[in-house]
Amino acid sequence: MSNRALDEQVLSALGIKEEPGEPLGLFFWICVGWVGLNVFGAIFANLLPLPNPLIGNFNAVNVGPGIHHLFGTDDLGRDIFSRVVYGSRVSITVGIGAILIGFGIGAPLGMLAAYRRGRFDAILTTVMYVLLAFPAIIATIAVLSFWTPRSLFKIIVVIGIASIPLVYRVIRTATLSVATKDYVIAAKVQGATDRRILMRELLPNIAPIAVSFFLIGVATVITLEGALAFLGLSVNPPTPSWGNMINEARTVLTQNVWLAFFPSLALCLFLIALNFIGDRIRSHFDVTEVKL
Amino acid sequence: MSDEKLLVVKDLTTTFATAGGELTAVAHVSFDLDRNETLGIVGESGSGKTVLSRTIMGLQPRVNTTVTGSSIIDGFEVVGSSENEKRTIWGTEVAMVFQDPMTSLNPVMRIGKQIDEALRVRLGMNRKDAKARAIELLELVGIPSPVQRYHAYPGQLSGGMRQRVVIAIALACSPKLLMADEPTTGLDVTIQAQILNLLDELKERLKMSVILVTHDLGVVATRTSRIAVMYAGRIVETGTTRDVFHHHRMPYTRALLESSPKVSNKSHTRLVTIPGRPPNLLNLSPGCSFAPRCKYATDQCHLVRPELQPSIEPGHTFACWNPLPVNSEATLS
Repeated sequence: MSNRALDEQVLSALGIKEEPGEPLGLFFWICVGWVGLNVFGAIFANLLPLPNPLIGNFNAVNVGPGIHHLFGTDDLGRDIFSRVVYGSRVSITVGIGAILIGFGIGAPLGMLAAYRRGRFDAILTTVMYVLLAFPAIIATIAVLSFWTPRSLFKIIVVIGIASIPLVYRVIRTATLSVATKDYVIAAKVQGATDRRILMRELLPNIAPIAVSFFLIGVATVITLEGALAFLGLSVNPPTPSWGNMINEARTVLTQNVWLAFFPSLALCLFLIALNFIGDRIRSHFDVTEVKL
Repeated sequence: MSDEKLLVVKDLTTTFATAGGELTAVAHVSFDLDRNETLGIVGESGSGKTVLSRTIMGLQPRVNTTVTGSSIIDGFEVVGSSENEKRTIWGTEVAMVFQDPMTSLNPVMRIGKQIDEALRVRLGMNRKDAKARAIELLELVGIPSPVQRYHAYPGQLSGGMRQRVVIAIALACSPKLLMADEPTTGLDVTIQAQILNLLDELKERLKMSVILVTHDLGVVATRTSRIAVMYAGRIVETGTTRDVFHHHRMPYTRALLESSPKVSNKSHTRLVTIPGRPPNLLNLSPGCSFAPRCKYATDQCHLVRPELQPSIEPGHTFACWNPLPVNSEATLS
């Protein structure tokens, strides 16, 4: 009998069960590949053999998809494929940057509030819910209309701040459900400090929810950036972003439908992939006793 | 120092401010505990056993809770101490074994690490010593091949194994007092006996005192030296295990004893139950809380609350206006 078979026999005799964890599935990896490809394109856009996204070729205006221009060209003769790839830079940077701000501030506050409870929690939660009641899109539109000239940095900061209450609410709720578990009390009566309990007991247990919300948050922010760009409140043209490409395409929709189609498709597929990954991660790492 | 009582609880009262008003979960409880002694706290659900055991070690919710009285563990006054102060006795003086081993272990941390934690943080051991000690502890609580199990996650262990790990964690810093809050309720019967025997054995070996909180009289019968019976947040009878089982005076104790099923009964014997329901703690009568369910209750019982009074045996007290006669053997086998 091989060692491994013997090991397994010993394990089962000792009542040791197989590791849980349901398979992530092929579609999950396709989504990961897609997101990876987009991120790769965004990072290395200027190293890839792409036409300049800002300079048009007036001999080829409003060309449909073809050999020379994969996705066709716009009304200024700029290559749409190149603009979609470059456009992902803005969308992905804003998406990740803003959510990092949201998590950087919202997550520690949410954990602390759920762990400490009492007055600290009551005041903070009230403030966050008041902020949450105010539509984020209106707030960001208002701030970005006045805070000019607009830059990528300002957009990230404004959306980032707007996302704090959302992150706070999710992390606080997730922590609440863990903080009352016996193992947290058990750690406490072993003399663990608050910091240790937050970092070692609570954080690893809310990590799956946090990671999945992070990805879904990135998707939400990208949508928000798209909406702002559509209203002309994101980065200034001619810098492409998926949102402002759709906005520009609006005026020539009857002449060249591809101009709106490709950035929309890119946005849509990227968001679907992100949401699916987030969802799978949550259910894959969800260590509930039911499954054991 | 060693002659001194390990635990002295005096007039301990825990009150929760709830939406429905003040709820007194533990009322004026006093008792003490010698070194290397096992005390059983018995009562039905909602009688305040768990709140009592948690209040003794100072583990009550931070909000909406008022604790008065005194609980002194080895010279340390728990009531009124801050969490930072209590942290100095948690783990090293008093430790706790929880009811449900399914929820009292962190599911995402290897069990070895969970034992290590306390050793490294509280006792300042280095990584290597802590690991060696953790494996020793796993062996002590009877976990086979502890070196391999050290790396296991809680999800890979069965319920009984997990409870052994929980006990190992509790013992990590060699506490003088071990609180076991229904340590076997989440386990099946054969494992229950194993865990209780283990606790018993460890108590002797490590010279600890144990407080065993349970609703199961079978659990306390052979393993405790004294028993306190709780009802509606109060101790209604206390004495040596023998006295409580055989010379009890309080009708509630008898009712509790009578309602445990006996193996010697013929099959299909109807289980004796206590009529009525436990009292609503928000709305207690001025009299004896058990009076509405007691067949011996008189007007006095409903109006005036009886205090604990001594019975004839030393150390045996009960709270009842119409106690059972002194030599009343319960209808027990």
